[in-house]
Amino acid sequence: MLDVLTTDVLVIGGGAAGTNAALKAADLGVEVVMVVKGLLGKSGCSVFASHLPYYDATTEQKRADRYRYAVRYYNHYLTDQEHVRRMGQYMRTEFFEELERLGFYVRRDDDGALLPSSNRVPVAAAYKQGATGIVLMNSRRRAVLRLGLPVHEECAATSLLVDQGRVVGATVLDYRRGRLFTVLAKSTVLATGHADSLATRSSATREQSADGLAMAIRAGAEVANLESCWWHVSDMRAPRAWMRMHLYPNPLLGTDQSSRLYNNIGEMFYEQISHSPGSSAPYVEQIRRLCLEVEAGRANWDGNYVSGYDHIPSETILTFQHQAKVWKKLGLDVAKDRLECGITWHMRQGGIDLDTETMQTRLPGLYVAGGLGCHYLGGVGPVSYDGKVAGTNAAQTAHLASAPVLPEAVVAAEEARLLGYLCADANGPRPIQVKTKIRAIMWELGYVKNEAKLEAARDALRELRQRELSSMRLESTSRNWNTGWLDALDVASMLDACEAICRSGLLRKESRGAFYREDYPFIDNDNWLCKVILSRVGEDNWRVRYEPYATPHLKPDKGREPFFEADY
Amino acid sequence: MDIVRAKVFRFDPEVDHAPRFETFEVPYVPQMRVLDVLDYIHETLAQDIGYRWFCGVQKCGCCALRVNGRELLACWEPAQVDMVIEPLKHVPLVRDLVVDRGPFEDDLMRLETWLQRSKPHPGFPEPLFHRAMVPAIEALKCLACLACQSACPVLEDDGNTGFIGPAPLVQLAQFALDPRDGADRGRTAAIEGGIFQCISCYKCQEVCPTEIPLVDGIIEPLKRKAIASAPEKAAHTRAFLDIVEERGYIDPVQLVLKTRGLAALTRPGWALRLLLRRKVDPRKSVFPKRHKGVAQVRKLFEKMRGRRS
Repeated sequence: MLDVLTTDVLVIGGGAAGTNAALKAADLGVEVVMVVKGLLGKSGCSVFASHLPYYDATTEQKRADRYRYAVRYYNHYLTDQEHVRRMGQYMRTEFFEELERLGFYVRRDDDGALLPSSNRVPVAAAYKQGATGIVLMNSRRRAVLRLGLPVHEECAATSLLVDQGRVVGATVLDYRRGRLFTVLAKSTVLATGHADSLATRSSATREQSADGLAMAIRAGAEVANLESCWWHVSDMRAPRAWMRMHLYPNPLLGTDQSSRLYNNIGEMFYEQISHSPGSSAPYVEQIRRLCLEVEAGRANWDGNYVSGYDHIPSETILTFQHQAKVWKKLGLDVAKDRLECGITWHMRQGGIDLDTETMQTRLPGLYVAGGLGCHYLGGVGPVSYDGKVAGTNAAQTAHLASAPVLPEAVVAAEEARLLGYLCADANGPRPIQVKTKIRAIMWELGYVKNEAKLEAARDALRELRQRELSSMRLESTSRNWNTGWLDALDVASMLDACEAICRSGLLRKESRGAFYREDYPFIDNDNWLCKVILSRVGEDNWRVRYEPYATPHLKPDKGREPFFEADY
Repeated sequence: MDIVRAKVFRFDPEVDHAPRFETFEVPYVPQMRVLDVLDYIHETLAQDIGYRWFCGVQKCGCCALRVNGRELLACWEPAQVDMVIEPLKHVPLVRDLVVDRGPFEDDLMRLETWLQRSKPHPGFPEPLFHRAMVPAIEALKCLACLACQSACPVLEDDGNTGFIGPAPLVQLAQFALDPRDGADRGRTAAIEGGIFQCISCYKCQEVCPTEIPLVDGIIEPLKRKAIASAPEKAAHTRAFLDIVEERGYIDPVQLVLKTRGLAALTRPGWALRLLLRRKVDPRKSVFPKRHKGVAQVRKLFEKMRGRRS
């Protein structure tokens, strides 16, 4: 029998959402345990945050621009508009206040005034753009550790424990010590993010393998809009580790300028200020324009086009942009050289379905915070709001809930599954090789989707599952930091998540935001302004339902419009 | 095709009796980083190799290790044709290239590395000038990668000097140099940090992947605060200054006697070696002479005092 840790609230994930959930739950006097697959505040995508949305609400116009940006340009109406209002209120009144109280420095000018970008939906940052997440998460890390909360780092949650329909914690592999244990909790907050390393080129961090999504699917949670996968366009082509190096297309501090994209004959085909003036995160427009270039033979998905800041005074770049150091490192000049880019799969727009007022899922006892939810795309500011709501509600539930019962048979089955992977053999596919195959399948599926490609990807994944999941063998059975063992668990998560992504893509018969189907090249608000909701029943039975979005504050202006002509 | 030859430190305490090196040949691709080499090894040659990284682009600070004896971030530095890749020093080993960051985290708790405001936060945005934050910003560039900790020669000396090492001190400086902080960070640096054991040799500064001026911008300002807050801990600095002010030059024998006292005599072999190599001249100590320019030196000291007060 595995060791059992008992707590009121279990938080899985150590980014901006998870840390805030843990802090807010602890504020309410309940016991909190954190489980983090990497290192709290260092792994995951929060550390990548370039800047923070600056909620300047001094005029009605600014307030309206910000709201329009969030609903139309960032979430393409696939969001809960009341949630966006509440989150906006938090961003205006609490987020910066709390960060700064803890010591976070928001960039000022020499007269002491805040120095946001000067476009319609401004952003603010730490001392430099691109360094914000690092400083913010270091501050959150200290806040959590200072409280003395038990944080189990380099521990991968492997499954949610469900007892009579209620989520009562999770099983965990401490891969550093090779120890399996369970956390029995009155409520559980999942906050494992929206960025997973699921394609050959991906901006995700090493440990991100869609575990949260997969655990929720296996536990019977509903997942929505998984088909909508965001690609970054201005990420470096080489070296390989640097495919996560993002040449931000967002406006720069103190200016309304941003990086530009150029095709292989030197024509500029994208910049934020001229092509997406209403958006400060203009990724969907960027990739649409790249798509036209690729179709015309003037760029490839994985290279043959460049990005740079050479139209902006280099002093501005060197002062405000963290990424400028890349040029120096490669012996290039940011004032005149451009870098070759390729697309990377950055994040999912969809995720686990939940009630945005409490962040509770349809599984009692299970809360979700941050990009893992289907309700909002993410960002360290907005997900901090989720963390606050999820942590507060999870704590309140824990106050009222009776002691959970450990589902021993479920734990035993999970233990058998995990130990089953710990099997060494010179032959048999290595888990990392299976991971590489999954990523190749999803890369092949790529941005331009259609029914045949989605079916092919789904079938290829199913074949991998049948042929290789149980035949994978490790190099050694050592339990001490055995990366092969961890890779094997990742494979299982990735297969579950990717299959759901393909299925969701087959169901949505339109194009919207980051989701492009060439067989349905229209945004279709008349028929598809809805959630596509999936849940898995048993091993291989998927239930589908649709739920329309309410548009109480902002309605799309057209019912149906050609995808490539829309501005959102 | 060009080949990268990587000789990698391997040790899994669970199954290995002793550490060993394993050599891997990896095809070179243009602009390849050290991390790309390790990823290739993981994906193709030794799938159980232990190495830690998360972001791949110099943000998380978790892939620091040593290549050919020099500390660096694997994600950031280019691969070399021949590389000996080893884990960081002065931190416990977990497996292969993975080290235990736990002791560092414990140090940070001891140093209380969080803002302790001298006045309550007046609400966002608080009055604050960018230039007032410039010294602290140098410290905010720290990724806590522990490269500096590994490069520090003071920590080499079987770790018993009481010096906490440069990495925790940079984190301390994030607050010590912040105009909003009111805690006595100088005292912490002296007592918890043992900062006067630092010999300002610049080894830490040389290896810092984010180019923090570790000695000039972090350690020295902290030392100044430490001298002000805990002068009793600054025996070496005070003795050094006293001797120079008295004589116009530094006398090593006097310095040793004044700082270590009779304890210096417990290492007669060391003293003899210094003598034989003419590093010290006891005659000058027994019959001290003032430098002819001592009056000018003393004027400098007066000027310095005037500036402080």
